[in-house]
Amino acid sequence: MLTPLQISSYLAFAIFVVVVVWKFVKYATMPIHLRWELYPVPHEPEHEHGGSFFEHQNIWQLERKHDKLNELKEMFEEMLFIKRMFQNKRDLWYVSWPFHAGVYLILVWLALLFIRAVLVIAGVHSLVPIADALIMIAGAIGVIAATLGCLGLLIKRVGSWELREYSAGVEIFNLLFVLAVLLTGLFAWIKFDPNFNIAKEYMLSLVSFGSQPMPELPKPILVHLILLELLFIYIPFTKIAHYVGKYYTFHTVLWEDAINKPGSEVERKVKRCLQFRVSWSAPHIAGRTWAEEAANPKLDVIERWKP
Amino acid sequence: MSKEVRIKDIGKPSKQLIKLRLEDLMKLPPPYDKPGEEPEMTEPKEEWREKYITELDGYIAIDVPFEKPKTKEEEQRLIQRFLEGLKKLLDKENNWTFLQPLLLSLEFCAKCQTCNDACPIYLSSGKKEIYRPTYRSEVLRRIWKRYLTPAGKVFGKFVSGDIELNWYTIARLAELAYRCTLCRRCTQVCPIGVDNGLIAHEIRKLFSQEMGVAPKALHELGTVQHLRVGSSTALTPEGFKDIIEFIEDDIKERTGKNIKIPVDEKGADILLIHNAGEYLSWPENPAAFAIIFEEAGISWTLSSELVGYDAVNYGVWYDDVQLARIARKHVEVARKLDVNRIVVGECGHAHKALCVVADRVLADEYNIPRESCMPILWDIVRKKKLNLDPEKNNFPVTLHDPCNMVRLMGVVEPQRKILREICPQFREMEPHGVYNYCCGGGSGFAIMTSMNFPEWRNKVATRMKFKQILTAFQDCIDPSIKKYVCAPCSNCKGAIRDMLDHYQATMKCGIYYGGLVELMVNAMVDIEEPFIEMF
Ligand code: SF4
Ligand code: SF4
Repeated sequence: MLTPLQISSYLAFAIFVVVVVWKFVKYATMPIHLRWELYPVPHEPEHEHGGSFFEHQNIWQLERKHDKLNELKEMFEEMLFIKRMFQNKRDLWYVSWPFHAGVYLILVWLALLFIRAVLVIAGVHSLVPIADALIMIAGAIGVIAATLGCLGLLIKRVGSWELREYSAGVEIFNLLFVLAVLLTGLFAWIKFDPNFNIAKEYMLSLVSFGSQPMPELPKPILVHLILLELLFIYIPFTKIAHYVGKYYTFHTVLWEDAINKPGSEVERKVKRCLQFRVSWSAPHIAGRTWAEEAANPKLDVIERWKP
Repeated sequence: MSKEVRIKDIGKPSKQLIKLRLEDLMKLPPPYDKPGEEPEMTEPKEEWREKYITELDGYIAIDVPFEKPKTKEEEQRLIQRFLEGLKKLLDKENNWTFLQPLLLSLEFCAKCQTCNDACPIYLSSGKKEIYRPTYRSEVLRRIWKRYLTPAGKVFGKFVSGDIELNWYTIARLAELAYRCTLCRRCTQVCPIGVDNGLIAHEIRKLFSQEMGVAPKALHELGTVQHLRVGSSTALTPEGFKDIIEFIEDDIKERTGKNIKIPVDEKGADILLIHNAGEYLSWPENPAAFAIIFEEAGISWTLSSELVGYDAVNYGVWYDDVQLARIARKHVEVARKLDVNRIVVGECGHAHKALCVVADRVLADEYNIPRESCMPILWDIVRKKKLNLDPEKNNFPVTLHDPCNMVRLMGVVEPQRKILREICPQFREMEPHGVYNYCCGGGSGFAIMTSMNFPEWRNKVATRMKFKQILTAFQDCIDPSIKKYVCAPCSNCKGAIRDMLDHYQATMKCGIYYGGLVELMVNAMVDIEEPFIEMF
């Protein structure tokens, strides 16, 4: 029999997944945009000097090669180490990187708790001690690094003029919220669950859909868990989910350099967009489709907005 | 630390948000490290204040009247119109061209300020708050959040931050969109890939496409004149043909070569299109192209048809509809001539506009390959199709990388390979290649010359480039040593010409400028007289 707490855990996770997927879909289904890449583009074979296929002649006949490995390298350096911030804003990186790395480790910790539960249910007991050891390492380093990083981020956000001035209240609130979850987690771990046994049992009860008993949760753990669930629900609606944006800015804008060749997929999409109607109000635009506007310019009136 | 200007101040009723002072600007290397070496800054004239927007920093980019509303109702109408435009920027049909990149940049900025120190304008100005790459983006973001998102409507300031939408905000934002050269250096360092340059570009579009408000040089005298008369320089097809004759005569006189420049030759491999500014200001550049292409046996032609002899596309800086119209015209001309490909001469923004950005407004028979001239030129040098003697270019040379051709298009190496081959004293600026700094003339600034805007350009926008040039030549800064800044782009040349003039750097430091092909012709063994004149 599932308890309300367990049901809320499923729900929080489900909402998280659904909204994140919806966000991905929202961006994935937007129309193709004009090319707006920015060099160096890491999949270009000449990425060392930031070169592109335009360094060659007869680009339509050119056999395009993509250095996928380098693209992955660049992606992981940015994801795992926040390379651009390391190179250009070191003072902030000193707190931002531990925070992000800590969060990654906490996600690994969650995944390990899940895997461990699956192992237990599947009866693969020989691997459980390895999972236990990894859970200990990921959980301990993760929560400490993330908490320190989050504290540092908060201090920077409030203490530095250029960060505070550009932040709305919600951005400070987000940090406070995450910090609350981390601090309650840290406290719960040190005081009540140093070996993550309660966490493991709770995960086991979730993975087994209640057929394994739910552990007794001391109050501080309960508070932490509820806060964590709320955070899971909250994240996808906020900018904390900037990983979605980061995927698209790099992959569909800055590194997106597909040529519009006749008969290509790009051309098919472009043709569809050219049939969209333009309803901008300036007098040089006549309210026709993009294709018509391009073919027959209307330039007889030059008139500006007047009060 | 408290700063004078806050984001919400954009809407503050005041005469002028900031005032630039010479002593605040970024310091320059010798000989400009001493006071009195550069001209003082001036005040805007009082009569300008009535007609134009001087409320930002006193400089005027938008040289068309932007009237102040006289009543609350008029102001409300302006606000409504602005918001209508903003909605259209976020609308699939009206702005499919940049919807995805724009929304990403509005939604995901982490406000980490990593991008700030990449911006030449921000640094050159002595870090003036309004020029911070995130300032204008944050203003637009706050307006969008507050007025157009459900969260902003419900939670107000808590999610959007402090912002008031009034005449001051809108007018200053319009000017502020023209304090960024769209060089996208800031985007290169952003950990999220947020594009502050793009946001400036989209603000310009909002004003142009919704309100018909854009600098005259870009719209009336730019794209409109281009489509109507044939060129944004007002050069007509007849005028163009006359100039070609003049160039042929000039080639004969300077080099002794009899060259017939092919115009409107059907079935050629290449349609070469130059920025028409070259014909009027630097005819030696198209002349050098003609000498090289003829000598190398390239199958090419120029076009004398309306728009076909001017590669510029100012639409790329402020208006997508105009961009599409000009690009379409370029390919129409190429189609009629039945060429295999269009090749763009030494013009950076024309490179990017025609080859990259406009790639996705063309379809079916109106889609033909468009390429850079650089790989062709390198091929000519590499295959030794010209007899070149590098000793003829034995003076200090540095290379300016046009942002549009390099960072935004990835044409980096061919031009420097040529220089390494033909200029024994070639030295790089730092940083260079895809990490270069803009010349300060980007996004239309080079051709915007109304009122006091050139002063802002010379003092702030080009300052970083000037510093780079001086630094590259520090070992030979004496004016008796003639040195050459190679800028393979018409707009960059325009900006550098004005910069050298403003700082009197030719007189004080012996710095000259010009294109790449001029250096190639200057190195040709069979041409006796120097093709490049530095005096
Ligand atoms: S644009 Fe990028 S680098 Fe600049 S503040 Fe936003 S997230 Fe940071
Ligand atoms: S695009 Fe260039 S000029 Fe504009 S804000 Fe970014 S770095 Fe500055």
